[in-house]
Amino acid sequence: MMLKIAFRNIFRQKRRTILTALAMIVGFTLSSIVIGLSDGAYSNVIEMFTGNRIGHIQVHRAGYHDKPSIYKTISNYESIGKMIQNEDGVEAWTPRIYTGGLGSVDERSTAVRIIGIDVARENIATNFNKKVIEGNTLSETALHEVVIGEKLAKTLAATLGSKIVLFSQAADGSIANDEYTIVGIADSGDDITNRVACYLHIDDVQELFVLEGRVHEIVVIVSNINKVERISNAITERLHDTSLEVLPWYQVVKSFYDAMQKDKQGDAVARFIIVFIVAIGVLNTVLMSVMERTREYGVLKAVGTKPIQVFWLVIYEVVIITMGSIVIGAMLGVFFNYLLSVYGVSYAEGFTLAGVEFGKMYAEVNVACLLVPATTVFVSAVVVSLFPAIKAARIMPARAMRIH
Amino acid sequence: MNQTEKIDVITAEGVTKVYDADGIPVNALNGVDLTIQAGEFTAIVGPSGSGKTTFLNIISGLDAPTEGKVSLAGKVISEMSGNELSDYRRDNIGFIFQAYNLIPVLTVEENVEYIMLLAGVPKAERHKRVIDILKVVGLEGVEDRLPTQLSGGQQQRVAIARAMVSEPTIILADEPTANLDSKTGADLLEMMRKLNTETGMTYLFSTHDPLVMERAKRLITLRDGLVESDEARE
Repeated sequence: MMLKIAFRNIFRQKRRTILTALAMIVGFTLSSIVIGLSDGAYSNVIEMFTGNRIGHIQVHRAGYHDKPSIYKTISNYESIGKMIQNEDGVEAWTPRIYTGGLGSVDERSTAVRIIGIDVARENIATNFNKKVIEGNTLSETALHEVVIGEKLAKTLAATLGSKIVLFSQAADGSIANDEYTIVGIADSGDDITNRVACYLHIDDVQELFVLEGRVHEIVVIVSNINKVERISNAITERLHDTSLEVLPWYQVVKSFYDAMQKDKQGDAVARFIIVFIVAIGVLNTVLMSVMERTREYGVLKAVGTKPIQVFWLVIYEVVIITMGSIVIGAMLGVFFNYLLSVYGVSYAEGFTLAGVEFGKMYAEVNVACLLVPATTVFVSAVVVSLFPAIKAARIMPARAMRIH
Repeated sequence: MNQTEKIDVITAEGVTKVYDADGIPVNALNGVDLTIQAGEFTAIVGPSGSGKTTFLNIISGLDAPTEGKVSLAGKVISEMSGNELSDYRRDNIGFIFQAYNLIPVLTVEENVEYIMLLAGVPKAERHKRVIDILKVVGLEGVEDRLPTQLSGGQQQRVAIARAMVSEPTIILADEPTANLDSKTGADLLEMMRKLNTETGMTYLFSTHDPLVMERAKRLITLRDGLVESDEARE
């Protein structure tokens, strides 16, 4: 009966119901958009760092990540790669060699980063071919070709077909130097990489640096980034080799990850403020409703309704309005987040974070953008309605019925 | 139930009520001693502020006395908890208010059955009793209407049906005719008087209305929070 009265009261007091529901719907939708945008921005940043650059998981010789060295190599990388590929959730893997050196085109020279890649695997894992904005990507066989970063090309005044000479020290201590043809210019989306990167076929780099059959890194791409920890542990177990280190992306770029986590804490404050505003709005409307209906509660108590039943009557009304508001808020939240995930929001000024350029913020439609607002709106509505519900339950009938 | 066993239904002993009106104590009742017996059709009369409604509120457990005690069938109601008071009112008191005080979102049938629902009366029995009592108060055919779809007289009839349907120990009626025209008021009073005679149910009115006073079998006059007179009439 209390549920029936609560339900009918909601439709009797349409204006009050609409006001209460609006406070919740607006709060839910705003909260959902804030979460969708912030999660979308984080996902975007993570994707820029991982999918296109560092991968989701990296395998090195132990200690390479903390102190990289040309000598810390993985020798049996093909068999390790095959073992990794067999792990559930792994989408692709690709080997890399990293060294530094000096690059010269005609009279101009600058420091460069030499990156040896398996072209076919790199195209599958990180879409390397799509980063080439001018000219061609590298051939799948070693032909002394090089693709250089967009800004490096400007620094060296290099054009397609130019010859670049790379100088460095090989793993055996000898001087490594050779000449390569620039076949493409790449934009990696990362400013620092664009200034220094020289991508060569892995066989060319192994030959130049006397690293036959060896690499510094195996980059792993997984199908679901949220499962990266589990997959990383599974790979560690499968390889069963303490001379290797298996690092998920957030350990590879730990300082960046920590900064992102701190930023998320700031974001939590913004979420709390929105929830607080919603809670105040709900408290206000529920309290108004209880005060408006003091006489009615007095009558209910006068005819024998127990205080706990009056308490539940108020709670039921709030819960019914809250559930309806959550459904509408969820639909609006999904709608706006979807629009923002397609069209995005342009930053007033683009910015570069850890070398990655950002011009637009895209939202993400995920479980959190529905679950978090639903939980916060529901809990805050129920919590703030406790006070009015207790007040209604404790009303003295004689005094309540004197109120007109 | 058939009357005239002279059983004490309600006993008030030295009931005092002092209200706080913005820091100023106002004595509404100054030590009222009264006994209401089963089957009575009693009216408490007196000028405004004499303490009529306060007395009704206190004997029904809607308000607590400052001093003194009220007992119903030997149980002191001022010693009851909130839940016990709710049960006490549900099982023993039928209310008829000046402003009807029906639950606006419930239909006539639901309003009348509400108290039985609280008492856990089975559905089939509730329905039968509602139909029977609505016939008694002359409201057949309006079971599904909301209170707002009824006239004042009809709403008061619903309130009477609600008060009587669970066969309480006593029916307390606070100015029940104040919002009605004199013909409707007289009709309702005749009906209540008839029910009192037929069922032996006890009625206690608080009123200014001469129509009620004319029909009361006992007339208690309150003045300044004290019983000024108490006369039995036939």
